[in-house]
Amino acid sequence: MGVDRATLLAWIKPSPPSAEELAAAARLAPGDCEIYSEKLNAILDEAADVFVRTGVSSMLHSGDLVVGIYDPAGNMVAASCGVYLHAVSAQLPVKFVRSHFEDEPTVGIHEGDIFYCNDALYGGIHNPDQIAIMPIFHEGQLIAWSCAAVHQPETDAVEPGGMPGSAKSRHWEGMKLSPIKIGEHYELRADLLEMMENFMSRAPRMQVIDVRARVTAADRIRRRIQDLAKAVGAPLLGGLFRKLIMQSETCARARIASWPDGTFRAVSFADTVGATESLVRAALTARKAGEQITLDFAGTSPENDGPQNAFAHIAAAHVAIYLYAYAFHDLPVSAGTFAPLDFVVPEGCLLNAGSEAAVSQSVYACWQMLTLTPIVFSKMMYAGAQRPLVAASAGNNHTVPFVYAGMNQWGGKVADLLGYPFNGEGLGARSDMDGVDCYGFPMAHTGLGPDVEDVETETFFLHLFQNELIDSGGPGKYRGGTGVESALVLYHMPRAVVSSMGATTRVLIGQGLFGGYPPPAVPGIHVVGSDALEKLGAGEALPRDFRELAEKRAIKGQYRFERTARPSRMIGKGDLISVIASGGAGYGDVLERDPSLVARDVREQRVSPDAAAEIYCVALDPGSGEADLEETARRRAQARQARLARGKPWAEFMVQWSKQKPPEDMLSCYGSWPDAKPVRPVVRL
Amino acid sequence: MDAPSRVSSVRVAVTEYLEIDLGTETWHCRRCQRSLGPARSNYKEGCLAYARDPSTLYPPQVEGERYSFAPDPALCLLVEFYCPGCGTLVETEALPPGHPPTHDIELDLDSLRRHAADADATRKP
Ligand SMILES: [Zn+2]
Repeated sequence: MGVDRATLLAWIKPSPPSAEELAAAARLAPGDCEIYSEKLNAILDEAADVFVRTGVSSMLHSGDLVVGIYDPAGNMVAASCGVYLHAVSAQLPVKFVRSHFEDEPTVGIHEGDIFYCNDALYGGIHNPDQIAIMPIFHEGQLIAWSCAAVHQPETDAVEPGGMPGSAKSRHWEGMKLSPIKIGEHYELRADLLEMMENFMSRAPRMQVIDVRARVTAADRIRRRIQDLAKAVGAPLLGGLFRKLIMQSETCARARIASWPDGTFRAVSFADTVGATESLVRAALTARKAGEQITLDFAGTSPENDGPQNAFAHIAAAHVAIYLYAYAFHDLPVSAGTFAPLDFVVPEGCLLNAGSEAAVSQSVYACWQMLTLTPIVFSKMMYAGAQRPLVAASAGNNHTVPFVYAGMNQWGGKVADLLGYPFNGEGLGARSDMDGVDCYGFPMAHTGLGPDVEDVETETFFLHLFQNELIDSGGPGKYRGGTGVESALVLYHMPRAVVSSMGATTRVLIGQGLFGGYPPPAVPGIHVVGSDALEKLGAGEALPRDFRELAEKRAIKGQYRFERTARPSRMIGKGDLISVIASGGAGYGDVLERDPSLVARDVREQRVSPDAAAEIYCVALDPGSGEADLEETARRRAQARQARLARGKPWAEFMVQWSKQKPPEDMLSCYGSWPDAKPVRPVVRL
Repeated sequence: MDAPSRVSSVRVAVTEYLEIDLGTETWHCRRCQRSLGPARSNYKEGCLAYARDPSTLYPPQVEGERYSFAPDPALCLLVEFYCPGCGTLVETEALPPGHPPTHDIELDLDSLRRHAADADATRKP
């Protein structure tokens, strides 16, 4: 049963070409690759468009999806994203189906088959990420596979929302499908759709519609690839597929070879493991030699009995989010990019947990990858030609996916995840510019925020405000992009269930780059029994941002300041819940930031006057708001002198520093201090 | 092989604020040229270090609450590494108190020397 961990990890890399594929690639005429690779991309764009229009879940509407084309062996040829990690991980169930079912007479692989799966043990990421897979035949021969995946914010788990924070083992997580055939002869099987609908009794409508949306998208690719095979012949496509994989590999290897060899390390810390508060460490060591890089996650905290665990292939797939967007953004999105990479993910660390582990928040276990990969790659690349791609990381998981469930005002059952707050994170600053404000979802670079009006129509929420969050971008010579603050009030309905996920509230997960600062972490706010709806009815002023809420208590009610990881709870009409998207990390020394940019940021309410004065040491003219350059220079010289006065030489610093330790009760899931080795067995029932 | 005399003055920029002198095999500040120690060691050992309470960057917005908008200095400090010559903030690291700072950049100097042949990445001091 299942697949062993090493095989899944190995399947991320492309399998070697066949003699026929190499011969076909060699036979491509000049221009074939350029023309038909664009044709593939056009097919994928069309399928992504069809996908979004066919489905209903908010993650689909925000574009957090992938559609991809895979060669007959299951190697990724091209993908339209969305979420690059799914483009990579979709190879694994395809390779599973080929290796386990092709010669299995009760299953087999036939024209018109539709496969479906979501279980991480078979190459998935976590239960919500459901994927439809179709073999593509031409004249009786398997010539390709198409895949369509999107996160489904309900999985029949112990809590609504698909990513239960309380899960302690896989048995708490709901529907888990190993790859199964849910359709034959281009028809979905009604019995298996009924089974899924039955599983998803919190949101049956969404499940059935979005299964069909995935299949529709995969089938659109299937039809277009078959049309193309008819027009140009299957051999040309086989050659094209292999050429794209080889191109990515050749270019990635050449680029890596152009960077100096060395060892590059980064660490990141979080304070939340599902329902438990504990520090955990994620560690990455990149050893780069010639055209090969080994990414070694040794030193990451041990697996835990909460939901923030992953498997080795999940960790490796998360690296794709960085690679395809930054270091190799200009290469074909194919499996070839992974050929020069080796992964070491020690068994028993939270990135490679036991098979019974809960992985419903695997993306949270891996989100620190969004901090670690930009840092190690930026430090590899700075001395080379890729310096313009050097960048600090995006928001790194201070962002809070917000889940809701209940009966809406139209009498329908809804269980979904708000797509827009995390699609408004700030991007990390670069070596030459600020991070993009309110950029998007760092896991899905093309993700967009769905319309608030759509959400208010479909659900029971009223949005009091949605703003760029002041001081949320990590300070630096180049500032991290700002995140977003939102406040929702339960409207229309007497009650609903809400929850949210987060990996940190009191600890900075992010790391700045080259002297830049990480973005802040922020807590959640829940105002129980607020009078927001009464104020609205009376036409009175409502709070416009977190500060008016937190500092001025601008509405009445019982205020709760809480962790961003909020277990499922019932809220009542009028309750206010905050939702945030984090800012990005900063780059370079704050004292080198152009004072006029600080003045602009204050004017545009992205940086507070306090932060301008105290962090950036910029003097602003009280009348014009412009930077006083002379006074700023004086303050900054003073600030540098203050650093020289308070900074201690390494040996002296380390004597004091090494004596410190975080409180014991915050190390329950950390492992041994400070090296994070396992100290107790994890027992799962 | 490059003759030592030819490469002795070559410095390669390795970060926004750090460069390596391939002749002397030492780290240097790119702002004031101050030496920060042997290039085969951690440059942080040549810097001044200071553990900053991150709530000075991100102050609390509510009083008396466990979750106040401010990071908790019992769990997280910002270790700042300054150039001892000019006070430039060379690198920061968010760490739990007492956690060893990371040896983040360990370059193969022979490989760096080969790369120094690429004029884009080098400059004369
Ligand atoms: Zn200096």
